[in-house]
Amino acid sequence: MIERWALISGLKGDLDTYELIQKDLKKTPGNITLFVLGDMIGPSKNCNALLKRLINPKSNELRPQCIYGWWEEQLLAETGYRGNQRAEALRINKGEEVVKSLLSSVDESFLNWLASLQFGFVELDCGLMHGSSRDVGDDLTSETPPLTLLDRLTRLQVNRLFTARSTKQFHLQLKKGIIDSEVCDLRGNRKQEQKVPQKAVIGIGAGKNYTLYDVGTDNTQFVQAGYKSEKIIKGF
Amino acid sequence: MSETWLISGSPGCGKTSWILDTFKNHQGSCGYIRLKGFSEIDLEQAVSSKIDFNYLKDQIPELLDLNSSNLALITSKENPLIIIELPQFKVPELYGLNGIDLRVLKELEDLKLKPNKYLHFGRDPELQIKDTLNFKNIESYNLELKKSIWDPASLNTFWFELVNGAYGDVYRAKALMNLPDGRYIFFNWILSQQGSQYLTLNNVAPLNGRPERHSEIVIQGNKIDFDLIKSTIQNCLLNDSVLELHQASLRDSQLQTA
Amino acid sequence: MKQAVISCLHANLPAVEAVLKDIELQGITNITCLGDLVGYGPQPNEVIELIRDKRISTCQGCWDEDVVDGLDACDCSYPSQLAEKRGHIAHQWTTDQLTKENKDFLAKLPYSIRKDKCLFVHGSPNSQHEYLLPDMDAFAALERVETARAETLFCGHTHQPYIRELANGSIAVKVKNADSKDIQEKEMDLPMRRIVNAGSVGEPRHGGTKATYVVYDENTNEVKIREVEYDVELTCKAIIKAGLPQIFAWRLRNGFEFAEQAEDASHVCER
Repeated sequence: MIERWALISGLKGDLDTYELIQKDLKKTPGNITLFVLGDMIGPSKNCNALLKRLINPKSNELRPQCIYGWWEEQLLAETGYRGNQRAEALRINKGEEVVKSLLSSVDESFLNWLASLQFGFVELDCGLMHGSSRDVGDDLTSETPPLTLLDRLTRLQVNRLFTARSTKQFHLQLKKGIIDSEVCDLRGNRKQEQKVPQKAVIGIGAGKNYTLYDVGTDNTQFVQAGYKSEKIIKGF
Repeated sequence: MSETWLISGSPGCGKTSWILDTFKNHQGSCGYIRLKGFSEIDLEQAVSSKIDFNYLKDQIPELLDLNSSNLALITSKENPLIIIELPQFKVPELYGLNGIDLRVLKELEDLKLKPNKYLHFGRDPELQIKDTLNFKNIESYNLELKKSIWDPASLNTFWFELVNGAYGDVYRAKALMNLPDGRYIFFNWILSQQGSQYLTLNNVAPLNGRPERHSEIVIQGNKIDFDLIKSTIQNCLLNDSVLELHQASLRDSQLQTA
Repeated sequence: MKQAVISCLHANLPAVEAVLKDIELQGITNITCLGDLVGYGPQPNEVIELIRDKRISTCQGCWDEDVVDGLDACDCSYPSQLAEKRGHIAHQWTTDQLTKENKDFLAKLPYSIRKDKCLFVHGSPNSQHEYLLPDMDAFAALERVETARAETLFCGHTHQPYIRELANGSIAVKVKNADSKDIQEKEMDLPMRRIVNAGSVGEPRHGGTKATYVVYDENTNEVKIREVEYDVELTCKAIIKAGLPQIFAWRLRNGFEFAEQAEDASHVCER
């Protein structure tokens, strides 16, 4: 049977969208693993019902594998789960009011579960992250310099990096490239030519926009919940 | 008719390697025992070590340990070969069985072992030594490390320091070490030979805690700071929580591979 | 005009004095220090005071940060558990020895210093704890320099001096965005950049005992690695006398510091 991953993120407490995606996935052929790449919570909605469902899925639903995202990181920092750090990134960017809204949209009883979530998954030769292995808030898009994208892939030692932070859906393939390196040290000089490896970064989208990945064929499909999916993009 | 050979020689002369080769080439059952030997003035024998037997047993699983009263068992088998390993600095004054030290003869009698051949490394032409260490003083230390598991990078550093003289002049070091991934490593080093021998043995421990198998280090040399060695080793060994962390991640990756 | 770049002094006063003498003999007055004034060595106060007296422009190293803020580095900063335990002993000893004035000096050091197209950091522009090893992935190395908006990046931390030039680079990508039907193909040239590692004055890890540093000629754009002999035995005796782990003296005396070096250049300490 076809092995597929469904990659979703940025629900921010939206249980309706989550249910819509689950409904979509029931109709999607193949053996599907559901990954939730963070931002399950946000400041605009009460997130308790969604969190409850993620922890205790209905018997006829796919069980999600979750990691924490940027909003979870802010909440965990603000509630003392990150040592002396507080949600300064959120405070600076959105103000004190939003920090308060975030605190009030998640019941305290979910904090331990959120704190137990991993930073990311490495499955086969793929990294599944909210941002990147550099930072949960690493905002990677198709406009990010390829050198930066290559760096993020290299850090994680993977060939595919699925990222969610930017909320964008994109597939960027590093096609070819080269660089000359010359090192001079106390042992002498050595030259080396290095080629760009065949790697890709995939933005999985957020909310209703999610991504299906066909593990066997390396095909990526961008989907909007409740609508017909985008044309399948071959792994170039 | 069983063959029973007594093989003696100084530390690092190649006794164990020769015995392993001999057993591997022997068609029949094999039995082994290592006597602890006798210290001379300023030349201390290594304390009785089980490293050699465990190494040989790993390479030849059917090898019988004659320390555990298996004598009757081996002599009842077809074409048995018994080798008695004896660490001995001094070259025997007489050739053949007449050269056996009286103290050793007594020990053999107690063990009900009667050699029909006695060879000494470096003297008998069958047992050539590539290099002979001329020891003037030798101290011997051993440390039992059963259930101890090393941080691999720390083991690498410690062994480098040990054989390069950080803890005194080491002439000989031999060890059986456990690694968190279940590997069982045999270390063998002698001053006059280039580099250390590292051999990953066939025995692999499961990824659930500390194995019961033998683990030990034996060090021989001069002006050795054994207390510093012991405290350094303590800093290299994994505690329960770190070990569990290592093993849990290895168990996970095994599951994924499966 | 020439300038000298020194790094990783590690409280080794005889080595620092010898290097400063060597710099002076070349008539160089412009010196930049890439941090790690303390740690491992026996004369932390003396080394800080010498750097302060000479008003040498200095950025903060990981040891300088840790003795001020408490141990902040994650385990990844040490190549082994043994190295970590020894490091902690040295950390505690150094913290106990330092005067308040000298701790304040370390606390106020900047993370980086920018001079024209050159950036000076201890580890990498990302972190004081990141190792930029000479043979790390060339694209990742270029990314460090480029992200820092520098042409030449001066760093230390690895204790191995080197000069690495990254040139003639290009990358081609193929992009599909969900909101567009087109598939875009782009090819871009990468800029030529250079990483210079100044090595270590007080704890060299190049397989020898000599202190190392680099001299940068702004006119010719050339960089040269310099090796300086110093009285190693004097430092070793001071290490033993101070009660620091005697293995530090043994490594220094035998040029065995290389035995403990980080291997994972791509790893970045997240703390």
